[in-house]
Amino acid sequence: MHLFGQTITGYQIAFVCLAGMTVGAAVMVVLMPNILRAALFLGLTLFGVAGLFVLMNAPFLAAVQVMIYVGAITTMIILAIFLSHRVMKVGFFQAIYNPLLAAGVAGLVFLFLFITVANSVWVKGIVASGPSNKDIGVHAVARSLMQPYVFPFELASVVLLAVLVGAVVIAKEDAPGGS
Amino acid sequence: MGHSAYGIPISWFLTVGAMLFAIGLFGMMTRRSAIGMLLSIELMLNAANINLVAFGAYLKMPVIAGQVFAVFVITLAAAEAAVGLAIVINLYRNEQHVDADKVTAMKG
Repeated sequence: MHLFGQTITGYQIAFVCLAGMTVGAAVMVVLMPNILRAALFLGLTLFGVAGLFVLMNAPFLAAVQVMIYVGAITTMIILAIFLSHRVMKVGFFQAIYNPLLAAGVAGLVFLFLFITVANSVWVKGIVASGPSNKDIGVHAVARSLMQPYVFPFELASVVLLAVLVGAVVIAKEDAPGGS
Repeated sequence: MGHSAYGIPISWFLTVGAMLFAIGLFGMMTRRSAIGMLLSIELMLNAANINLVAFGAYLKMPVIAGQVFAVFVITLAAAEAAVGLAIVINLYRNEQHVDADKVTAMKG
């Protein structure tokens, strides 16, 4: 497709749609006074990020993102909201504290990051102009998880076990009458 | 255009990552509810993941490490969310609110 004398690829259109969805939903996450709606918009953001992963030739990661983030973490957050918030109408300034100052600081951080990204001259021959077409499939990820990264992999499983036990202990209701 | 068939320069992905990070930072500073702060942390972790995967995919010799690190980040984010939400639930049980500004029991 041609527009203003520039060639526009389907990938670029997909990128703009996904990035717009991701960033727009992320803005709603931080601006929604109702925390339940914010959590639902977080699910949309995470879904958009999964789409961006697909554009970067990382389909396995996209599947992991959808299963763990969209499937598990969002569900867990929504359950926690049900357990810990009275469902009620909250005003914008009751839920959001000092938005102007925070917007200024966040805007400055974004400006700094954006200027850094825009002015970076990547070392010649290291960063390509597009994601590599070489297929980085699930086989390659599995092989590198089991060979060079096997120690962090096992460490992550130990961390997960400890965390799950800890979460149960913290969230468990104390026995009536104390211990 | 001089780009590959994708036509997406790496700076586009890095810019989206920077946007997500700034938005997450904004939410972290403004939210009163502890769960709102957790949502913002997830946004910032996703920004980091986008950068990791982008650099992994855009190298002339693409490395798998970017994706592997992102998998670890997702794992630890799940762990962090589990512990954080357990603390939030316990806090609500003890104080009947989850307002992070009002929790001053451990203030010196």
